[in-house]
Amino acid sequence: MINILSYFCIILGILFWFWGTFPLLGKRSVLFKLHSLSVADTLGSMSIIFGLLLKIPSEWSLLILALISLAIWNTVLGYVLAYCSSSGRNDER
Amino acid sequence: MNGLLIAMILALLIPMYEAWRDGDIWQKMLAFASIATKTSVMILVVSVQRDDLMLGTVGVIILSVGNAGLMLLAHVLKRLGQYD
Repeated sequence: MINILSYFCIILGILFWFWGTFPLLGKRSVLFKLHSLSVADTLGSMSIIFGLLLKIPSEWSLLILALISLAIWNTVLGYVLAYCSSSGRNDER
Repeated sequence: MNGLLIAMILALLIPMYEAWRDGDIWQKMLAFASIATKTSVMILVVSVQRDDLMLGTVGVIILSVGNAGLMLLAHVLKRLGQYD
């Protein structure tokens, strides 16, 4: 039962990865791509790591650290990239 | 588990192609941020698969320090653009 749940979480995370990464190939603005990428990539990665956590609970300390690091760093990095890329440019579509 | 890893490698190829194709520096940065997250999560998957704590430590270090480096790089690029 736990095994099925962990595989479900990992597969859901990979689906989120594909969903968030495909807009990168389009011709939209940086901010549009950044939004889809930061939301779907962070959620997908957290889902994958949660699936791994269900699989091997003995490595919980490391995986919890990875979860916290993902949640904090990816939001901060998204904000910083948006701030740095949007200043002085008025060609966002 | 091997199939899942192959699917992850396929997902990793998309931002790599984007970083190779696009000339705009911010699109490249976006693709690099995506590559950093994906590779470190893949390292964690391999570490759980092999039950290897040391490999997992490397993955977590890449996850936090790599993102911090990208943040500093974005600030440097912005400063370079200001004085052009």
